[in-house]
Amino acid sequence: MSRKISAAALAVLFLFPLLWSAWASVRTPTGFGLENYRRLFTSDNGIRVEHVVNSLTVCALTVGGTLLVATLGGYAFGRFTFPGKNALFLLTLAILMVPYATILIALYVLLEWIGLQDSLIGLSLVLIMFQLPFSIFMMRNAFEAIPKELEESALIDGCTSFGALTRIMLHAVRPGLITVGLFAFLTSWSEFFAPLILLNSTSKFTVMLAVVNMRTASFGAIDYAALEAGVTFMAVPCLLLFLVLQRSYVQGFMSGALRG
Amino acid sequence: MTLLAPARPTVLPSTPPRRKRNKQWIGALYAAPTAFVVGMFFVVPLGLVVWMSLHHWPLLGAPTINAPENYAGLADDELLRSAVWFTLKYTVVVTVLLFVLSFGLALMVQHRRRGVGLLRTAFFLPAAVGFASASLLFLGLLSDEIGPVNRILESVGLLDGYVSWTSGSANTALGSAVVLVLWRFAGFNMLILLTGLQAIPLDVYEAARLDGATRFQIFRRITVPLMRPTIALVLTLMITGSLLAFDQFWILTRGGPDNSTTSLVMVIYREAFIELDLGSAAAISVALLGVLIVFNAIQLGVLRRRS
Amino acid sequence: MKRLLSGTVAATLLLALAACGDDKAASGEPATADSGAKLTLWTRAATESVSKAYAAAYNATHKNQVEVTAYPNEEYPAKLASAAGAKALPDLFASDVVFAPQYASQGLWLDITDKFNALPMKDKVAPAHVRNGTWKGKNYAVPHTIDMSVMLYNKDLFTKAGLDPEKPPTSLTEFAAAARAVDKLGGDINGTYFGGNCGGCNVFTLWPSVWAAGGDVMNAEGTASTIDSKEMADVFALYRKLYDEGVAAPASKDEAGPTWLGALQSGKIGIAPAPSAWLGIIEEKATFKVGIAPISGINGGESTFVGGDSIGIGATSKNAAQAWDFLAWTLGDEAQVEVVAKGKGVPTRTDLASNKYSSADPRIVAINNLMGKGKTPYAKNFNATYNDPQSPWNTAYRGALFGDAQKSLGDGATALTASLKK
Repeated sequence: MSRKISAAALAVLFLFPLLWSAWASVRTPTGFGLENYRRLFTSDNGIRVEHVVNSLTVCALTVGGTLLVATLGGYAFGRFTFPGKNALFLLTLAILMVPYATILIALYVLLEWIGLQDSLIGLSLVLIMFQLPFSIFMMRNAFEAIPKELEESALIDGCTSFGALTRIMLHAVRPGLITVGLFAFLTSWSEFFAPLILLNSTSKFTVMLAVVNMRTASFGAIDYAALEAGVTFMAVPCLLLFLVLQRSYVQGFMSGALRG
Repeated sequence: MTLLAPARPTVLPSTPPRRKRNKQWIGALYAAPTAFVVGMFFVVPLGLVVWMSLHHWPLLGAPTINAPENYAGLADDELLRSAVWFTLKYTVVVTVLLFVLSFGLALMVQHRRRGVGLLRTAFFLPAAVGFASASLLFLGLLSDEIGPVNRILESVGLLDGYVSWTSGSANTALGSAVVLVLWRFAGFNMLILLTGLQAIPLDVYEAARLDGATRFQIFRRITVPLMRPTIALVLTLMITGSLLAFDQFWILTRGGPDNSTTSLVMVIYREAFIELDLGSAAAISVALLGVLIVFNAIQLGVLRRRS
Repeated sequence: MKRLLSGTVAATLLLALAACGDDKAASGEPATADSGAKLTLWTRAATESVSKAYAAAYNATHKNQVEVTAYPNEEYPAKLASAAGAKALPDLFASDVVFAPQYASQGLWLDITDKFNALPMKDKVAPAHVRNGTWKGKNYAVPHTIDMSVMLYNKDLFTKAGLDPEKPPTSLTEFAAAARAVDKLGGDINGTYFGGNCGGCNVFTLWPSVWAAGGDVMNAEGTASTIDSKEMADVFALYRKLYDEGVAAPASKDEAGPTWLGALQSGKIGIAPAPSAWLGIIEEKATFKVGIAPISGINGGESTFVGGDSIGIGATSKNAAQAWDFLAWTLGDEAQVEVVAKGKGVPTRTDLASNKYSSADPRIVAINNLMGKGKTPYAKNFNATYNDPQSPWNTAYRGALFGDAQKSLGDGATALTASLKK
C-alpha cells in the first residue's frame, strides 16, 4: 500500500510542473482568462500566424527527411555489410559529442556557401543531422531485430532488396519509425538555438523564437504569465502526440530498438 | 553487444561471392544519404572548427595562422578552469542522481499491474516538452514572482521570507538545474532501462528464486549483469549530455551566482559571441570533443573486454 | 488581427514596388540615395518598438523600404557575431551603445566619417554616443535611441513617510536618508531596490554617482579600470549599508535584471535608480504618482549614464547609399520630434531637448537636459568586461556589495584592466 502511495506521489510530482504551467497561463490578476495568450499573440514580438506556418514547415521537412535518411541508413547498417560501415556509424554517433554553440557558427558559414542561408530548408537539413545519432541507432536495431526468414521470403519471391524494404520490412519497423518521427517532430518544433542563428528575417522565424522573446520582452522585464502561456502553447501539440502515439513508441523502444 | 559494437553480420554464409559483392554495393547505396548528411553537415563544419582553432579568426577579414596560441591560451584561463571543475562536478551529481532515479522508476513500473500504465505515462510526459521550453517553464516555476514553490514552502513553514532558487546561492542554483534535468530526462532514461529489464527472460529469475536467492541477490547477480549493455548506453548518454550542458544554465541561472554554475559550453559561448574570439572558442570545442571521444573509446574498450 | 492582415498586405505591396525600384536601378539609371531599395535592419527586442516606429515613418515617405527584424536581447550579440562570421550582415544594425566600440573595431560597420561630417546637425548629435561609434578617429555609428539613468521615486510613499514629494534628494546621502525614512513605514514596503546580480544594471545606475563626485571608473581610452578609487568605494559602501540594514529589498541581492521593473511597478519601493524610459511604463499602470530626479554623488552634483542604442551600416551591405539615407533621416528634426519625442523618447539631438511634445511635461525636459551632464563610457571590450554574467565586473561588485569589499575592488581593478586590454 505504501508503495502505491509513494508511486502516486511521484507521478503527481512529475505532472505538477506541466499542470502548473497550464494553470499559470490562464491565471490573470483578476481571475482566469485568455489575456496572457492574447499578449503572447499580439505583443510586438509575439507569435504570428506565419511563425506557426514556418514551424510546421520545418517540422514536416525535418520529420520527412529524418525518416527517409534513417530508414535507408538503418536498413544499410542493420542488414548489409559494406566498406566503411563501422566508421560511418561511429561518425554518426560522434554528432552527440560536439558542443552546439561552435558547430553552429561553422554551419552558418557552410549554409552560405551552398546558398541555403536564411532558409527553412537549410535549417531542416541541420536539424536532420542533429537527429541522426538517435534515429540511425534506433532504426539499425529495429532492422536487425527482424527475423532473417521474413527478409528471405521476400527475396525468394523475386523482390529486390528495395522491394523487400518497402513491401515487408517497413511494416515490421513501424514502431521504430513512429518513435524516430516523433522525436524529430519534438526537436524541430521546440528547437531554439539553431533557428536563432540560421534564420535572418522575421518572416522566416519559428514559434520558439517568439516564445523566447517573451523572456526579455520590454527592458529586460520578464512577462512570466505570457511566458508560461508560450511554454504551454509549445508543449500541448507534443504532449498530445506523445499520448496518442504512446503505444507505438513504447513498442518502438521495447522491440529491442534501444537494446544498446 | 555494446553501444558501439559492430552490427551482427547478416549475410548468409551460403551467398555466392558475386552476390556478396553486389550486396555490399547495395548496402553502401542505402547508407549514401546518411553519409551525405553526416559528411556535408557534420564533417565539413567540424573540419572548419578545427581549422578555426589554428587561426586568429576575426569576424570579418582574413584569418591568420597562430597555432598553437589558441590552445596554449586555454591553460591560463581562470574562468575556463573553474568551468571545467564545475562541469565535472555537475556531471557526477547529475549522472548519479539521474541514474538512480531512472532505474528506480524503471523497477517501479516493470511489471504490468493496474495503474502502471498511468505511472509510465506520467514519468515519461516531461520528455515531450522541448528542453528550452522546460527551462523556461522552471524559470517561472521557481521564480518568487509567479512560481508556486516559495508559497507552498512558506505555507508549510519550511521557508521564511524571500529566497531566489536560481540565483540565491551556488547550491540552490545547481539544485535548480539538477531538478530540471531530473524532471525532464528521468522518464526517457526509464524507458531505455525498462527495455533492458524486459529483455531478461523470466525463467532466469524463476531459476534463481528456486535456488533460494533473495531479492537483493537476484538484483545484484542477475538483473545488473544482464543489463550491462543498456546501463552502458544510458550512462554514456548521461555523461556526454552533462559534459555538454548549456540550456539549463543559460536560461535558468545565467551561470551565476558568481560564476558558480558556469559550464564549459557557456565559456565556449562567451569566447565566441561576447569576446568575439572564434579561434579560442573553436580550440575549447576541439579539446572538449577530444576528451569525449577518448572517454567514449575507453568505455567501449572496457565494456568489450568484459563481455 | 485585421490590422495585422492589412499591414501584411501593405507590406507585401510595398515589397513588390521595392522590387520594381531595384530593377530600374539595375537597368542603368543612376543609383540615388532613395532608389527604392529594400533595407534590412536588425535590432534587439528591447529597442524593437523604436526601430519600427522610425521604419514606419521613413517607409511612408520614401521609396526605400526598411524592414526591421528583432532578436532576443540576450542572444542578439551571438546572432550578430555569427552573421558577421558568415559575411551576411544586414544593411543596418543597431547595438547597445556600450558595445559599439567593439563592433566598430571589428569592422562590422562601414566607415561613415565623410557622410557624417557633411551633416549640418553633426555637432548637435549626442556627443557621447557619437564618440562610442568611433574607432581610430573614424565614425562608424550614430545614435539610434537614448535611455538615461535617473532616480525614480514613489511620491505617495514619500508623503506617507513625511518627506516632501516635490523635493527629491540632491545627494546620494540624502537619497539614503529618504530610503530609510520610507523603509520605516514597515510591512512589505522597502526603501530602495537595485540589481545586485546584474552587471549592466549596476554600470548604469552606480557609475553616475561616481561621475557626479568627480571620479571615474576607467581611463579615457577604456583600457584601464579605476574602480579601486575612493569615489567608487563610497558608492558601494552606501548601497551595501542600505542592503545590510534591510532598507534595500532583500531581492536586490539576486536581481539579475528580469524582475527589476516589476519591483518598481509594485509601488512598494520608495526610491531607486532606474532607466528614464521606465517613467512612462510605470505611470501607465501605477496607482501611485511617480517622481523623477537626477542621480547624484555622495555630496551632491548630478550625472547620468547616457545609454541606449547605436546604429550603423552593415559592413557587407550592398545598399550603403540607401542605408545612409535612412540614418541621416533618423537624425533629422522630423524623425526626432515626430517619431522619438512624440513617443515619449529622448531625442538624440541636444538642440531638441525641449520640443512641442516635451514641453507638456516639465519632467521630460529635465530628463532631456540631463544628457549634457552625463557620460557614455567607452571601452572596446565592454560586453565581456562588464555586461556579461561571467564578467570580472560581476565578481568585483558582488564582492563590494556582499563580500570582502576592500579586496574585491583591488583585485577587481586588476582583473578588469586585464579584460579591457584584450
